[in-house]
Amino acid sequence: MTSDDRVPPGPGHRLPARRAAITGHAALLLTGVLLSGACGSQESAGSRVTLEFFQFKPEAIETFDRIIADFEAAHPGIDVVQNHSPTAESAIRARLVKDDVPDVISLNGNGVFGELASAGVFHDFSAAPAAKSVNPPIQRILDDLGVHRPGEINGLPFASNVSGVIYNKDLFRRHGVEPPATWTELVAAAKRFQAAGVTPFYLTLKDSWTALPAFNALAANLAPQDFFDAREAGRTSFASAYPQVVGKLSELFGYGQRDRFSRDYDDGNQAFAQGKAAMYLQGSFAIPAIDQFEPDFEIGTFALPATDDASATRLVSGVDVALTMPREPEHPKEAMAFIDYLMRPEVTRAYADEQRAVPPTEDAASQDPVLAGLMPYFSQGRLTGYADHHIPLTIQLDAHVQQFLIDGDRERLLRTLDDEWDKVAARRS
Amino acid sequence: MTTAAPPGRRTRKPVGRTFYWMVIPALVLFVLFHTVPVLQGFYYSLTDYPGYGSHEFIGLQNYANLFKDDRILDAYLFTFQFAIVATILTNVIALAIPMGLNAKIRFRTTLRGIFFIPNVLAILIVGYIFNYLFSNSLPVVAEALGIEALSTNILVNPDLAWLGIVIVATWQAVAFNIIIYLAGLQTIPGDVVEAATIDGAGRWRQFASITFPLIAPFFTINMVLSLKNFLQVFDHIIALTNGGPGTATTSVSVLIYTGGLEGGEYAYQTANAIVYFLVIVAVSVFQMRLLQRREMSA
Repeated sequence: MTSDDRVPPGPGHRLPARRAAITGHAALLLTGVLLSGACGSQESAGSRVTLEFFQFKPEAIETFDRIIADFEAAHPGIDVVQNHSPTAESAIRARLVKDDVPDVISLNGNGVFGELASAGVFHDFSAAPAAKSVNPPIQRILDDLGVHRPGEINGLPFASNVSGVIYNKDLFRRHGVEPPATWTELVAAAKRFQAAGVTPFYLTLKDSWTALPAFNALAANLAPQDFFDAREAGRTSFASAYPQVVGKLSELFGYGQRDRFSRDYDDGNQAFAQGKAAMYLQGSFAIPAIDQFEPDFEIGTFALPATDDASATRLVSGVDVALTMPREPEHPKEAMAFIDYLMRPEVTRAYADEQRAVPPTEDAASQDPVLAGLMPYFSQGRLTGYADHHIPLTIQLDAHVQQFLIDGDRERLLRTLDDEWDKVAARRS
Repeated sequence: MTTAAPPGRRTRKPVGRTFYWMVIPALVLFVLFHTVPVLQGFYYSLTDYPGYGSHEFIGLQNYANLFKDDRILDAYLFTFQFAIVATILTNVIALAIPMGLNAKIRFRTTLRGIFFIPNVLAILIVGYIFNYLFSNSLPVVAEALGIEALSTNILVNPDLAWLGIVIVATWQAVAFNIIIYLAGLQTIPGDVVEAATIDGAGRWRQFASITFPLIAPFFTINMVLSLKNFLQVFDHIIALTNGGPGTATTSVSVLIYTGGLEGGEYAYQTANAIVYFLVIVAVSVFQMRLLQRREMSA
């Protein structure tokens, strides 16, 4: 079995695919050896500065290699060494523990990023010119995860993703189904596919985190806007605010294929690319992974409608790649030069085109036809962050949601979430 | 047996120095890489350190919180259930196979080699292969045979997933225990067995009255080591279920890893690790006492 091609988690994801991690280690070590050999010889050549660029996205390695080559050509005094780890979040924590922080860091803008930023290990970019070009709502999604001191900007959004429903345009056309705009239409579409013998949703619950994109979309639209603040203040509970969210989640997941608990994220990308299901409940980060399997049909996207009021639907978007550097950088000038270069509109645009992402700059929307169905939400500002990023990782939301989808015990899930939340709050106080 | 001459005063000094040189480097390395980190960990368990950034001293609060956390109790229950079943199974199988391997059968050396292979393989790799078998091969076979219970992946069934881990852990651990028992069997003098055969003792009687009592010290070692190893089960679970489905197969070690390194509660899970360390020491000492007493009475 090869699993070193396991695609990394998107933002809805909380627990890295540890399998990938472990099988990837050998490759990583090897690259490490090669890289250190390479930079050793370069350093001896002169007064060049070597920057370590910690890059978390395996499927973007080649894209970054090209960007780095262009940057190095323009900055002959700086060498950038790309270092990637399949379990970036554990790896960066380990590096922080060892006090050996990479010069430039890319991380997924999720709860871990927020925790690290709050701990004050990242640079404050509020005065950096590169920060000015970022679309404010997108910057806010990143800052909402946590900053060291109010007003600081501890990371720059390099690329955004969207989390909705990916669908097979071919199957939709063949069965006369329009992309649904309301919950009722969504359920009707699922029923229609099921009746026609087509799997409505391809589910990959062997990887527990793959339940979360749908969870986030439902939570963003069905739970109160201020839920997490209220929960922190003890004014509400999951038991009172989330029954509808988890109820609709299990209804949706009832329309999956039979072996939904035995299939993982990779299986899902492949199966969807082979046309085995009409819809796939994943973020835009799954699209490049699906493309690898060369689907022979057109892919489309729509926002998951959680209610019957189409105009109220808000799209879940997160910062797929956030750039940052250490609070006390070893090479501040060079690291900032590299970040400035990465944040140039033409670079973010080129990256977004290649990785099917949305660039973070104000005027730019994605020109990707696959994402066309979601762009109106960007222009109208109907965006919201990932709900699960506000739930402490140690609660293991994904594991409990997976358990719930197996046993269907809604009360138990909500009670567990409330209990775990209270315990974590007590430990942190 | 020849009686060794009592060490004379004359030879003591030079020999002693050599022996110290054999022991001290290992001791230094042990203290440096084991004792110091343990003490460091103990210190962190008294703080609110998330693994990076700043931290404050909070006394025994982490320890107090441990006892309020039912997740930890669940992990203990799972781990002990798993460890006890796997220890018994491993030792029963590992006792049976060497009997055959010690007999004068064909291809004895080859077979001994084959039975040792699982011990050489990395647990993670074995785990991933079994994961594939459980996910893809076993369901197909079970479906063809009409066994409904096994026709879906057992690793995704919260009630059965732990059995998958027991199977893999036992398969892997048996190899090492076989070697120990095989060594034990070779210490039994042939004349004792011969005498028993002449006295008309059957195979079972021979095993119960001669073989087993004579290899009792090896049994003790195997029981203590297997239980200790199984209580620390980690790799198998990461490769097979990642602690799931839900949290059904989260062992204490897995919980320490996920909560401490991924969940950002480094200090809290370090406290958990310290308590668990003491529990394992206590279990091992208790087990050793019990089995050694049995050894002597046997």
